[in-house]
Amino acid sequence: MIRRLPEILTIWVPLLLSAAHLIAFTLWTIWISFTPSTLVPVTGWVGLRNYSSVAASRNWQIAFDNLLLFGSAFVLLSLATGLILAILLDQRIRGENVLRSIFLYPLAVSFVVTGTVWSWLLNPGLGIQKLVHDLGWTSFRFDWLIDRDMAIWTIVIAAIWQSSGFAMALFLAGLRSVDADLIKAAQIDGAGPVRMYRRVILPTLWPITITVIVIQLQFAISTFDLVRALTNGGPGIATQLPALVVYDLMFQRSLLGRGAAAAVLMLLILLAVLLPYAAWRYLQRRRAIHA
Amino acid sequence: MPITTTRRRLLAGSAAALALPAFARAQGAVKPRLTAISQWSAGSDGAAITALGKKFEEKGGVWQHSPVPGFTTEMMNKLRAQIIAGDPPACSQLKGPEIAAWSKIAPTVDLDALVAAAGYEKVVAPDLAKLHRPAGKWIALPLQIYSTNMLFLSKRAMDKAKADKVPVTWAEFNDLAEKMKSGGVAYPIANGGTRPDDGQKFEAALAGISPAVYRTAIMNLDEKALKAPEIKAAFAQVRKIADWMDPNVGAQHFSTNLKRFVDGDMGMMIMGGWAQGVLRNAGFKFEDFMIAPGPSDNGKPVFLLNADAFIFWQRKEADLQAGQTLMAQLVMDPAIQTMYSQITGSIPVRTDVDLSGEGWSDGQRRTAAALKDAIASNQAVLSLAHNMAQENGMTAAMIDVITEYVKNKTIKPEQAATRLAEAVESAR
Repeated sequence: MIRRLPEILTIWVPLLLSAAHLIAFTLWTIWISFTPSTLVPVTGWVGLRNYSSVAASRNWQIAFDNLLLFGSAFVLLSLATGLILAILLDQRIRGENVLRSIFLYPLAVSFVVTGTVWSWLLNPGLGIQKLVHDLGWTSFRFDWLIDRDMAIWTIVIAAIWQSSGFAMALFLAGLRSVDADLIKAAQIDGAGPVRMYRRVILPTLWPITITVIVIQLQFAISTFDLVRALTNGGPGIATQLPALVVYDLMFQRSLLGRGAAAAVLMLLILLAVLLPYAAWRYLQRRRAIHA
Repeated sequence: MPITTTRRRLLAGSAAALALPAFARAQGAVKPRLTAISQWSAGSDGAAITALGKKFEEKGGVWQHSPVPGFTTEMMNKLRAQIIAGDPPACSQLKGPEIAAWSKIAPTVDLDALVAAAGYEKVVAPDLAKLHRPAGKWIALPLQIYSTNMLFLSKRAMDKAKADKVPVTWAEFNDLAEKMKSGGVAYPIANGGTRPDDGQKFEAALAGISPAVYRTAIMNLDEKALKAPEIKAAFAQVRKIADWMDPNVGAQHFSTNLKRFVDGDMGMMIMGGWAQGVLRNAGFKFEDFMIAPGPSDNGKPVFLLNADAFIFWQRKEADLQAGQTLMAQLVMDPAIQTMYSQITGSIPVRTDVDLSGEGWSDGQRRTAAALKDAIASNQAVLSLAHNMAQENGMTAAMIDVITEYVKNKTIKPEQAATRLAEAVESAR
């Protein structure tokens, strides 16, 4: 017992505490979502009324559409950017360490800072568009930030800038761990670099790709600070995202019940991503054991 | 015998326990203490409440103010947490219909006797007074007033337009904007891009077109009034205003544009009276701009009220109760209101304060005069954009429609009016 004390203290106590925290508050939020709570939590039962009113609200519908667009565009593009960067860095170039740090550095900046900086850069009257105009190309237009239809893409841009370095680091680690014998064998068989990547190296990256996708997706679903700093849901309500709606309902509109319902809906979206991933991991492990 | 001893001890003990507070009260040993929370931590707001605290201490009180910087909602989150924990502050900032909503979740202090003693009711605008006694009794006290529809005119833009007359009606306002545009003012309207910014343009338009419809539709949410042609006309006016604004503001704060406004690159600004303080703090002079009441089609000033207030939460502690009494007396005191408004740039709640003396600006005098006229002609109404007309949930639902309309020029005024009525229905 005494000998196992460090293990208990460092692993089990914190694990139990955070699990209890997580589960208790999740259950509590689910409970609140079925009550008529407004300013403060109250008991009572309204069934699915909070859910139906959230689902029927324009804010939530816009947020949900935006999430689909933002989630898929952000994940695919950051994946592609990360992979390309990793492959380029993998060519044993000079200054790799410096470049790697530069690409990874945005990750060290908080999302609020990223959002604020990009809100100035993308502002047509102050940022990139003005710079190009001042250089003489006056018909140049880059005003996505204030364009209702394109504003969601500014969030995609800022999010990719922030996190493609992360995808790059994971992919680079994957590329470096490819069996050298495999590469040599392919070389002996006369495979060129393109063929080598397509047929030999990239297929070994599947597990990493899935991991990156899941991590980025759960980030996309819970995005809050980035969009709050960059567009604050605007122009108008064009760039609402679910996390913004939850915050808005709970703390701006003092509708705790509806906010909780929106939070539970967000959890369901997250589970829709995480459960298949868990199942996939489980199947893989079983296959590994049986093999 | 053990029993009698116990009984005797018990008697003696309870007698002492009963006598102690009475003794303390007789001695006047209770030192008034006030626990207060507000969002006012910095700038002129922070300076004003600190000055109020000094006055409180001068009267022998202990001032315990914990500011919660940021938006009002952040302050509300702290208030909510304290109320749920059963430990509300003796006094907190809260305003508008939120006073009624919050007073239902925790007991408040009945201030009727104090208000009567100060003769406060007679000197407060009637619509404003109603907000502070939601169930008939005064439980909160307004502290200062801003108008959300003041018209700020850039002197240099006026020069460019070769105009010197302050517009009174919306038609004159539109004329002036056109003149500014053709005179070389890039954007006749200076504006930020936040939700309250957009909301203010709508409320100024509707109240200026018809204060009566504003009252029935926006304040009373009357279904028929929400479909009145005036609502559509207000949205049409907002579209004009939006077309004169710089589209590049994004979600920026209105203060970002103040330099361009003063330089005459932007012409007019419909903003709350607090913009005067912001302009002055930014180093601009009174000669750089003019302030007048917002456009009103019947020629008489329309005043969109925004008032900060304190609500008093019930506490059992004698020192906190004494502190609440002292605080209430201070907040109603004309000298204190004068001190406060002179720091923040607002106007006093009391309509009997004389603003002709030193320390008041022309803008403040004009605002106070506008309030008096507006009350006389029943045109002092409560601001929607600044959470005075409706509770937060309803306000947010309505501002959603307005802000989307300002940013999306494909929405027609009649569509916006329908959406506004629908938003009200679904948020009820």
